[in-house]
Amino acid sequence: MTIASAPARRRAGKRGGLDRPAATGHRRSGFRPAGYAWILPALVLSVGLIYYSIGYTGYISTLSWNGTSPDPTQVGLHNFTQLFSDHVFWLAAQHTIISFVATFVIQTVLGVVLAVMLHSRPWAGVLYKIVLFVPVVLAPAITAPVFRQIFAANGPLNALLQHVGLGAIAVPWLAQPGTSLMAIIAISIWQWTGMTFILYYAAMGQIDPEVLEAAELDGAGNVRKLVSIVWPSLRGTTIALLTLSAIGSLKTFDIPWLVTVGGPDYSTEFFGTMIYRQSIILSQVGYGAAISVMVILLALVMGVAINVRPWRSRAAAGAS
Amino acid sequence: MVRSLCIRNALRLATVVAAGTLTATALAACGSSTPAQVGSATSGNITWWGWTPQTNVGQQYIAAFNKQYPNIKVTYKQVATASYDAAIKPALASSVGPDVFDMAPGGGIGSVQLYSGSAVDLAPVVKAKVGPNWKSDIAPIGLKGLTVNGKVDALSVGSTYAGSIWINPGLFSKAGVTPPKTLDQWISDCKTFASKGITCFEQGAGDNGFNQDMLHAIADSIHPGLWSEAVAGKAKWTNPDLVKAMTVFKSMFSDGIFQKGALGVQQYPDVNNDFLAGKTAMVMMGTWYMQYSTADGAAAAVSAAGVSGAKPFPMVAIPFPSITSANNPAPLFGDADYGVAVNVKSKQQKAAETFVTWLGTNAKAQQVVADSLNDISSLKSVAPDWSSIKVVDQSTQEAALKTLIASTSNVSEARLGDVGTALGQAIGDALQAVGTGQQTPSAAMAQLQSSSGQ
Amino acid sequence: MFAIRSTRSRVILQIVLTIIVVPFLLPLIAMVSGSLAGEGWGNYTTVLSVPELPLFFRNSAIIAAATIAIVYAVTMAGAFGFSKLHVRAKELYFWMLLATLTLPEAVLLAPLFATATALNIYNTYWAVILPMAALQVPFAVLLARNFMNGIPDELLAAARIDGAGSVKIFWYIMLPLTKPIGAAIVVFTLIGAWNDYLLPLVFLVDPTTQTITQLPQFFVGEFNQDQTKVLASAVITAIPEIVAYLCLQRSFERGLTAGALR
Repeated sequence: MTIASAPARRRAGKRGGLDRPAATGHRRSGFRPAGYAWILPALVLSVGLIYYSIGYTGYISTLSWNGTSPDPTQVGLHNFTQLFSDHVFWLAAQHTIISFVATFVIQTVLGVVLAVMLHSRPWAGVLYKIVLFVPVVLAPAITAPVFRQIFAANGPLNALLQHVGLGAIAVPWLAQPGTSLMAIIAISIWQWTGMTFILYYAAMGQIDPEVLEAAELDGAGNVRKLVSIVWPSLRGTTIALLTLSAIGSLKTFDIPWLVTVGGPDYSTEFFGTMIYRQSIILSQVGYGAAISVMVILLALVMGVAINVRPWRSRAAAGAS
Repeated sequence: MVRSLCIRNALRLATVVAAGTLTATALAACGSSTPAQVGSATSGNITWWGWTPQTNVGQQYIAAFNKQYPNIKVTYKQVATASYDAAIKPALASSVGPDVFDMAPGGGIGSVQLYSGSAVDLAPVVKAKVGPNWKSDIAPIGLKGLTVNGKVDALSVGSTYAGSIWINPGLFSKAGVTPPKTLDQWISDCKTFASKGITCFEQGAGDNGFNQDMLHAIADSIHPGLWSEAVAGKAKWTNPDLVKAMTVFKSMFSDGIFQKGALGVQQYPDVNNDFLAGKTAMVMMGTWYMQYSTADGAAAAVSAAGVSGAKPFPMVAIPFPSITSANNPAPLFGDADYGVAVNVKSKQQKAAETFVTWLGTNAKAQQVVADSLNDISSLKSVAPDWSSIKVVDQSTQEAALKTLIASTSNVSEARLGDVGTALGQAIGDALQAVGTGQQTPSAAMAQLQSSSGQ
Repeated sequence: MFAIRSTRSRVILQIVLTIIVVPFLLPLIAMVSGSLAGEGWGNYTTVLSVPELPLFFRNSAIIAAATIAIVYAVTMAGAFGFSKLHVRAKELYFWMLLATLTLPEAVLLAPLFATATALNIYNTYWAVILPMAALQVPFAVLLARNFMNGIPDELLAAARIDGAGSVKIFWYIMLPLTKPIGAAIVVFTLIGAWNDYLLPLVFLVDPTTQTITQLPQFFVGEFNQDQTKVLASAVITAIPEIVAYLCLQRSFERGLTAGALR
């Protein structure tokens, strides 16, 4: 590696956090060969196949069309102006944000705690892992009616609550706005915590056991180890999960649609259910596409916001 | 140096996007439409997509069809009700879609209004095959819903009617209660049931379709025919009798008729299973429930509802209780359950037309339909062959079933056929808003009137 | 990970773990008992005796295997490129990749249909495998890249000094070290491919190519739904995924960087 190419690399590195020697505090050794050929298959497959769909969606968002008739009407940005004055759209936005924050926080806490505990070799660890994993695997179409039974006004959850003296909150969960959203969030957490757990478990597997032993020799207790060694090394995974969770929340469809059909009275409506309702049920394909375009834009904004450099350089520092 | 790198990078970016998008678009443009091939009328391989009937019943129809037309091979694909529209839309838009597909009246699943453009006009086809008077033998209600602007888009395979209440007589005698004939009696019956710890009535109020049936029946009892006029735009939704109907609907949540938490419950499978498992004394279902009157159908259904050692019970339909003291017998309302249509882009159009015509107008085909007691035959002349049907309790059920079927022959009021998708959604929204208490009945009806745009 | 020395701490750990996991278990118990209601084990025998079941199984296995192979290969290569190699404007490409995750599946059906018919792959497995892989890759690349960022560059530098090229580094260093995340990606891709309902429904017309997600359909009609058998089919469908997880979960546990540096 020559000195002459270093400035060029540093300039190019402005776009990539890890390329910058300054970010990690020590000089990079070794050259970095061109990686374009390596990322090309991924780009061609995903970008090539899906971008036509994105372009297509963008195009039909300017139409008033039912999806099958041969002559759609061009309406320009009318769908978008209609969108902003649609109270259901804002309801969906509200529910998406609440759901995103609640599910991400709770799933992260649970995922980390469970991964830590299961790394400590408890008895019958495999059984616990299976119980956490199975919900990820079950199709929402099949679990939805079961959850309607569980959350029913006279269902097992309320029976349990009454049994332990919490009868005051034994309400018909899915029949009221407010509690219906809580139930949907609870079901989402049930379904996806297993995935968070698996990823944190894998990430923790990367932590050098010698570092933990050394800390122990220095007198660090378990909590100290968790906070100062384990958690910082999980930052990268957490950022990745945050990004995926944000995009996933924007797309949320299965659970609110299959359990409550976005109701009652739109109290569990999300962007995903709204898109489905507009495109498939009401055949307002252009309007549905406009919502999809908004979702894509929001996803990109959130993704960029989450992954801006201050976070990433800290993640890089934490990872090495 | 940086600038040239930027240019090189921009070129690479363009390559990637272009590679995928332009190729796909160009290829799509290259896909020229092949001229319609029509094939032979007595042989060929055709595909049929529908959300109903169930696969094994579909096979029964096809087997019966093959007795008459052995050289036409029909492949039936049952698509789940919830996914039908998502799947059929792209299929019909392409050139490789199914030859025969299901359609239903109104703006719901497989909406005839939506897919009319993809269907062949069957009127001249049937006329050529069956004769110029083919319409005279077909029940008009089945024809009406599937005809758009004079074009017969699909042939009805059978009709269903709603507006009746099905009861579990065993639970009634256990509580010492008689089936209600008026709204007041309904409320007091439910109080008695509640005191005995039996669920009186269950409504899947999370399901707008069945809420609409309920509102429709209430409206018909208060002011027969007003509902259809409002749907057609000839009367306003803010008409005092319709507001009264909505008020009665709302009161059902509070006066003990609807079960607690009804808004979080779906009619299928929740309410259906509860009734079949004997947990609730009454449900509002239509003529499609007749299939559970047969010994085999009932036993299978009760077992499917999760009851071990399933014992079927003789369920019976009663007329909708009169809401007002005027004792107006609320009429039934209904239309074609579904019809079969021929895809205009079908490459085996003639064979498809043979199959569709057979299923919709052939007496043997319709006998199979009628005997399954799921739909009521689309042909006036065909009735279930009672000698071959074994019901759970002959003494109570057979007569009741015959009465029910007879009462459908004069039905002229459509259930779904005249309600378009947007109106259906608006009605559903009004019902949900009233049910959750977010809007008063009069406010909800006013909003319904303004969003119906009539 | 944590030294649990006293029996008391061990017991506390076990209890806390159990308390947290019980809410996840209860709905599963409800589902299994629902699948045993009515006819009991008869539900399972009915579902298992659906004649097309082995065929569905085989088709799903083919699709899943192909999807996993494509996703794993493409993802590891792509993540290697994004993480360790030099690509101009790599963030931009990365964001382009992530943007493909944002569309709900229902919205993709119509354009994918047009693409599939244009590429003439309609009614073939490729019409299902390629979109599925395309949809899984961004998610997998995000995870794998993040994991690879955690592999110290010194390892690669040492290998280069020994004269290894990118391909050798990829094969002998990156792949073994990313076994944990590789296993996770295999599991998640399997779940995505095995459970997908819409794509096989729309793109596979031939009855001999139907997948296992079509199994509940035999028990669901317009006006009836045999919940017991639907739940039984859900359990049967889930078993291969659970088995795969169990086989791979040992791979989640290794921390290999320390040994490698020495």
